[in-house]
Amino acid sequence: MRDTAAEQTQTGGLVLLCLASWALPGVGHLWQGRRQKGLIFLVALPLMFAIGLGLRGRLFPFDLSEPLVGLAAFADLGIGIPYFIANALGFGLGDVRAVTYEYGNAFLIVAGLLNLLVIIDAYDVALGRK
Amino acid sequence: MHSHFVLLVLFAFFVSLVFSVMAKDDPREQLRFGGLMFGGFVVSAIVLGWLMFPFPL
Repeated sequence: MRDTAAEQTQTGGLVLLCLASWALPGVGHLWQGRRQKGLIFLVALPLMFAIGLGLRGRLFPFDLSEPLVGLAAFADLGIGIPYFIANALGFGLGDVRAVTYEYGNAFLIVAGLLNLLVIIDAYDVALGRK
Repeated sequence: MHSHFVLLVLFAFFVSLVFSVMAKDDPREQLRFGGLMFGGFVVSAIVLGWLMFPFPL
């Protein structure tokens, strides 16, 4: 019985860790005392996302009738809180006429996907695999 | 910020930085791995660009 409660506590902690890591890139590593890694993720990923917005990239809508658009939307969401801030401030509308439009999309999508990898890395660290 | 090459270098820098920091723990190894990856990205993009040069598309 005690083992089950301990496992549940550990599982709850892991879920919280992953959520925190998703919400703010690098927080999962900072939480576990990996300051160098955490700070680099905390600066690099939101900066990459901001550059994507500056290049007039688009935050794609969750239009699942267009599979690629839907997948891009999920990738954009991977960056966490910066996604919601950009949305609230009206950024990420995208300008197809801009020369840098596709570059902007690449920066936005890859920043989100890299953060998903960072979450998995934080999870592995928490489990003692790394 | 309209230069394709500058944007390519910037993109390669960020991706290499995140991957190297994630994959290695020692700063020296991170620098070596990140530098190799960054160089690989930039060189392969230039090589691929030249390989595509003869094609009309």
